[in-house]
Amino acid sequence: MQETGRRLNLPFKTKFYQYLLVVLIIGLTTLICSPLSNPQSYHIVSFILLFVVALLAVFMGIGPVLLASTISAISWNYFFIPPFHTFHIEKTEDRLMFISFFIIALLNGILTNRIRRQERLVRDREIQTNALFQLTEELSKASGIEKVLEVARNDFKKHFNADSWYILQDGNNRLGFSPRPTDEKDLPVIERNIVEHVFANSERAGRHTGLSGEAGLTYHPLTGTRLNPGVVAFRIDEAAYKNRIAFRDTWFTQISNALEREFLGELAMKARLLDESDRLYNTLFNLISHEFRIPIATIMGASDTLLISQTTDKNREELYGEIFKASARLNHLIENLLNMSRLESGKISLRPDWCDVNDLVNKVTQNLKLELEQFSLTTVIPEDMPLVKIDFGLMEHVLYNLLLNSCQYSSGSGEIRLEASYENGNFILVVSDSGPGLPPEVLPNVFDKFFRVDGTKSGGLGLGLSIVRGLVEAHKGSVKVENGLNGGALFAVSIPSDMPDMEESKLAE
Amino acid sequence: MKENRNILIIDDEVQIRRLLEISLSAYEFTTFFAENGKQGLVAAATHHPELILLDLGLPDMDGLELLVRLREWYTKPIIILSVRNSEEDIVSALDRGANDYLTKPFRSGELIARIRAAIRSGEERKDTPLLEFGDLSIDMISHVVRKGGEIVRLTITEFSLLALLAKNSGRVLTHQFILKEVWGYGYLEQTQYLRVFIAQLRKKIEDKPANPVLLITESGIGYRFGS
Repeated sequence: MQETGRRLNLPFKTKFYQYLLVVLIIGLTTLICSPLSNPQSYHIVSFILLFVVALLAVFMGIGPVLLASTISAISWNYFFIPPFHTFHIEKTEDRLMFISFFIIALLNGILTNRIRRQERLVRDREIQTNALFQLTEELSKASGIEKVLEVARNDFKKHFNADSWYILQDGNNRLGFSPRPTDEKDLPVIERNIVEHVFANSERAGRHTGLSGEAGLTYHPLTGTRLNPGVVAFRIDEAAYKNRIAFRDTWFTQISNALEREFLGELAMKARLLDESDRLYNTLFNLISHEFRIPIATIMGASDTLLISQTTDKNREELYGEIFKASARLNHLIENLLNMSRLESGKISLRPDWCDVNDLVNKVTQNLKLELEQFSLTTVIPEDMPLVKIDFGLMEHVLYNLLLNSCQYSSGSGEIRLEASYENGNFILVVSDSGPGLPPEVLPNVFDKFFRVDGTKSGGLGLGLSIVRGLVEAHKGSVKVENGLNGGALFAVSIPSDMPDMEESKLAE
Repeated sequence: MKENRNILIIDDEVQIRRLLEISLSAYEFTTFFAENGKQGLVAAATHHPELILLDLGLPDMDGLELLVRLREWYTKPIIILSVRNSEEDIVSALDRGANDYLTKPFRSGELIARIRAAIRSGEERKDTPLLEFGDLSIDMISHVVRKGGEIVRLTITEFSLLALLAKNSGRVLTHQFILKEVWGYGYLEQTQYLRVFIAQLRKKIEDKPANPVLLITESGIGYRFGS
């Protein structure tokens, strides 16, 4: 029993030391009692020796206790019962006394030892129950397979003083190749064929078992009710744990259940994601086929007309213009799709740099010159606007999409207002229009992917604003929408930005 | 424009080559093509083109590598054609000696303007003491800048910045290059100074600082002096 190893000190550890110690202690007691070696007080010595034997029974195994009883009886007889230094006992009452001494010493020793064993068993059981309870609690807190494995590994080490490795299945009842954890330096050789056998047949194999006993490790199946999570491999000194087999098996069941729970959870999550991506795929497919077809039809129709028919110069020019507009629209669609997929896959890497907001506004308004033509654009940038630290290219997309959105959804000849400012460590960009605004009930959904207000004219995938939100959030900022004072939609972007650190002297050079 | 200016186009897309051939021939340029890097090297050596249009995505070798090998001996302008969202590639290409870049899809008008600017700046003697751009004149010897005849007061740094950009008019200079040339190696990351000085310069030499035509920002890449 391992727990006793902790209670007893090192010299008690082996049987040999226990016997030696018993002999020494009895010898010492005899020596100490030697002044009492006279016909008047030798009875007292018997009590002292009985007491010592009882005391030894608390700490020693049954063998040493028997030895202690025997030597103490003999030494009492030899050294203390008159005549001294002989085994001969003269008086009948002394003879009776000697026999009863021997029997009492023996019974005393055995009974004390038994009580102690009982107590030890109860204690061990309590410790094991507690351990399992703790494990259950820790496992219930662990979420994710990695976390469960971490708990399992640490707990295994705690109870069995050894490492353990887990070979798990991949969710499709196929065993993964590498044992976890894989980053161990002293990773043992995992016997692949035994692992497969253990997994397939749910039976123990390997070291200390009837199956492939020559193997370096013991392999124990982790079995669940709906799926078998995998196999655990370990190397423990079986002899030292032989009375804890029940505990070990319960322990494995706990781990199996926790792993099974995680596996089932993951499978359910995958199914949900698949459903969701199916839905998105359909939406995207419908939108793309619709949105792409219009400009493509325009290009094909216009170029076909130009190729075969004789049209007036004025018509030709108009057709060329249509082709150009349609291709620009296609280009914008592709750009948005690309940005969306980059955002979704997390491939957007921010490269923030100091940036002049005037530059940003100028660049975007130049790109949108054609679209903005029919609107009156008011730009307000404070004279003392500081530089802001943003990714210029990505913020161009943000402003571009916001302005284009205003152009598309505010009625013609309307006003579009663009305001930039710096407040409390935030770069603020507000784009508002004088259009009809947004129905209040759709405000929370405006930034959703593929969201479009019902009844609006065709002109996009409903990606622009969700890209705006994605890019702004990539900057750790936020964007909100409301209906402005004049009734039009108002979009406000806020991005945290430091002020640039500059030496005054450098600026004047 | 003089006739028979040779332009070498190194691009593996047939449609793009065809389009470029038509667009450029309308402006009296003679075009010839290479589909890959190896052909490109040979064609450049045999035809001595006035300008090279180089696509960075080639089938047989890295466009940047081809650029470096061309620049070992070829001194005339090279304009990079690239797909969008590859700012880092563009910056590396400019740092390796490309004069300018265009992202696909581009407008033919824009392409012609860039080609002309690049060829012109290649021909002009860069060491002339007086550079003139419209009503702006920059005297490189006396460090006097005039706009519409009036002297514009510039600080020393402002003048170095303006002179550097003006000497390389029509060419895109990367942030790093400008910072290194004007402020020195210790300032390669200090783009905030560059932004502030560009803004100051615009106020002094642009007609409409909010809509600059001389000091043009190339998003995420650098600046170009428009001419």
